[in-house]
Amino acid sequence: MEAPTADPFPLDAVRVLEIGGGIPAAFAARWLAGFGADVVRVDPETEGLTPDEAVYLLPGKRRVQASSPGDLLALARAADIIIEDGPPGALAARGLDPAALRASRPELVIVSITPYGQDGPYASFPATNITAFAMGGIMSLTGMYQREPLVTGGSQALYLGGLDAAGAAITAYFGALISGEGDWVDISLQESMAGMLELYGPRGAYEGAVSIRSGNHVRAVWGLYPCADGYAGVCALERQVPALFALLGDPELDEPRFRDPLERPNHDDELQAKLYAWFGERTKAELLELGVRHRVPIGAVVTPRELLDNPSLRERGFFDTVETPDGTARIPGRPFLGLPWRPGRLNEPVPAADILATWSTRP
Amino acid sequence: MKRLPLEGIRIADLTMMWAGPYATRTLAEMGAEVIKIESPRAWDNIRTLIPQPGVDEPWNSSYYFNDYNRDKKSLTLDLAHPLGRAAFLQLVPHCDVVIENYRADVLDNLQLGYDVLRQVRPDIILVSMAGYGKTGPERHHVGFGPIIEQMSGLASMTGYGDDGVPFKTGISYGDPVAGKAAAAAVALALVQRRRTGRGCFIDLAQREVLSSLIGEAFVAASLRGETPVHRGNRDPRAFAQGVYRCAGEEQWLALTLRTREEWERAAALLGIDPALPGGPGDHDVIDARLADALAARDPQEAFELLARAGIPAGRVLDTVAIHDDPHLAARRFWVELPHPRMHPWKQPRTAWRLREADPWPRRHAPLFGEHNDEILRGLLGLDEARIDELRREGVIGDAPVNPGVG
Repeated sequence: MEAPTADPFPLDAVRVLEIGGGIPAAFAARWLAGFGADVVRVDPETEGLTPDEAVYLLPGKRRVQASSPGDLLALARAADIIIEDGPPGALAARGLDPAALRASRPELVIVSITPYGQDGPYASFPATNITAFAMGGIMSLTGMYQREPLVTGGSQALYLGGLDAAGAAITAYFGALISGEGDWVDISLQESMAGMLELYGPRGAYEGAVSIRSGNHVRAVWGLYPCADGYAGVCALERQVPALFALLGDPELDEPRFRDPLERPNHDDELQAKLYAWFGERTKAELLELGVRHRVPIGAVVTPRELLDNPSLRERGFFDTVETPDGTARIPGRPFLGLPWRPGRLNEPVPAADILATWSTRP
Repeated sequence: MKRLPLEGIRIADLTMMWAGPYATRTLAEMGAEVIKIESPRAWDNIRTLIPQPGVDEPWNSSYYFNDYNRDKKSLTLDLAHPLGRAAFLQLVPHCDVVIENYRADVLDNLQLGYDVLRQVRPDIILVSMAGYGKTGPERHHVGFGPIIEQMSGLASMTGYGDDGVPFKTGISYGDPVAGKAAAAAVALALVQRRRTGRGCFIDLAQREVLSSLIGEAFVAASLRGETPVHRGNRDPRAFAQGVYRCAGEEQWLALTLRTREEWERAAALLGIDPALPGGPGDHDVIDARLADALAARDPQEAFELLARAGIPAGRVLDTVAIHDDPHLAARRFWVELPHPRMHPWKQPRTAWRLREADPWPRRHAPLFGEHNDEILRGLLGLDEARIDELRREGVIGDAPVNPGVG
């Protein structure tokens, strides 16, 4: 059922210029590169990526070192899409004023990713992953109530900005294909998160009621528990609660205080205790098997290392391999199946003239 | 007014809960016409996930549902009924995209898989977003956002560090992440169709999208066999980093001091002794001094004081404060839309801020089945007798059957 292999890459021959060099721009451009775009990354003067991040985010891209203003302008004028994550004004300061570029090439798409967007009172404020995560609202909901709010692992605020930038870049590029008009897309890390606060955001707006972080248990039937060989979790909707209770096999769970969805929250601690005991006696593999067999949403906390051997990911061909000086790395590849994707390799920087030789004329 | 990029694109939206509706809210704001399809017997549980005792038509008055389903049209169709399935197959030729986030086997069980849809619309784009994808041994697992987070590797990376406990993110994080990626997939498939004339079947696994947001952890695992280390709110790349309590109830400030120089500057601004004993205990000393200095400070003032000095700081904005944030207000990020059953509330615009086309939420979420007539009669041209039959058979409806708690 996959697309015929004869299909070209969806972004074949699309020229993408990546400027800035942080995770947001690099992640957005990585997806475009994988789907066939000719991505040229202008390396920053000081590399902002860690070596591991570079192994993940740079394959499939051509690279140039920070080039002369003239070279940079020539690259920008030849590009179909520019993705950058410098502070507001930084692009213009390098001679690449977005409005002027847009005026000279109406079909050009520019995507800027910043902590707070291009304008507004915080626009010039600096940010890191954790401060952006805090300003986006998710952090207020994460961690234990008894302790300080907790940042989610990795660099989620930065990746979310990159994810939004990728989607917006492709969408604006599609618009340009239809109408000949690109756009300048203004991605704010804060806005990327502020609009994804589940029911808690709308509740705060509608009822004026603050939702407070609840650790690993939104409710007993929606939580994470220690199990025999690690941690596992359940996330049961009301219609799945009977199947979960049947799995536990505890006759007390037939009583109205647990059965009645409006009564149950008053007995959540008691129910949690039962779930702690039940999870504690079982392994992750047993729990996952019970979940799928009885159609109860059950998961297990697995590490990236465990996932490298995951049979589903293997069968679905999720990982790309990339050769590094330290050996062969395996990295997340195509984000979804159905459109042709090409794994890339790590490239050394080349002189801007090499790029311009192929970019100076349009195909 | 400048044209929105997805104007003229019509999407049949079979998604429910959060991941899919989050994707189609974005696509609608980008200009697409989104037709949300629910069965009177199997409707979007989000409508009643939050109990609203004593409220009339609770399925039409949920802020949770109505926030994520604005700018869409509502069509009821029981796809498990032959007449409902037939009506859907009449609708598909009018659509560019069909999107669903059912469990992996549901669409095929309804005999509405890609090969069936392609027969009625050869260049249809089908986007499926099951938790683990349509193939592979885990495809039958039931997955919601928090489960996806565990199974993606991300939950193993989050924790305070002193107790060994992994943590979930405070939202069902897998959902909107998959939603953002699914919206991108729709746009990419439209580009491909524009270039080749062909549609495609996108098989998006929510777990895989989330794993792609921790790529460097797979590099560390595959090159060096590393497993995640919980560092709480610290970051070894920074000189110091943490989250500190400020004045007021549950008010916190996140702070990164990237260099010793930033620490000294922050210390001067906050009236802290910058001298450090030197050694592995320095971070604890910094934390204690910052905690002391910030405990009596207003979080907004402390945030602006430090940020204006070029030091990365951020308030841990809670779910009420974020709606009052002066910066988001200046950016016109929140929009209040009238709704026939609810008082207005601040709804977020898309993060895809196209500065020139300026996408803007246009209309409140539809009432249940609000557009039945417009679509069945207007778009598909069904006659009165046929629509009556659909109503009589319970294929369409103006209210859910047996609405209880989701």
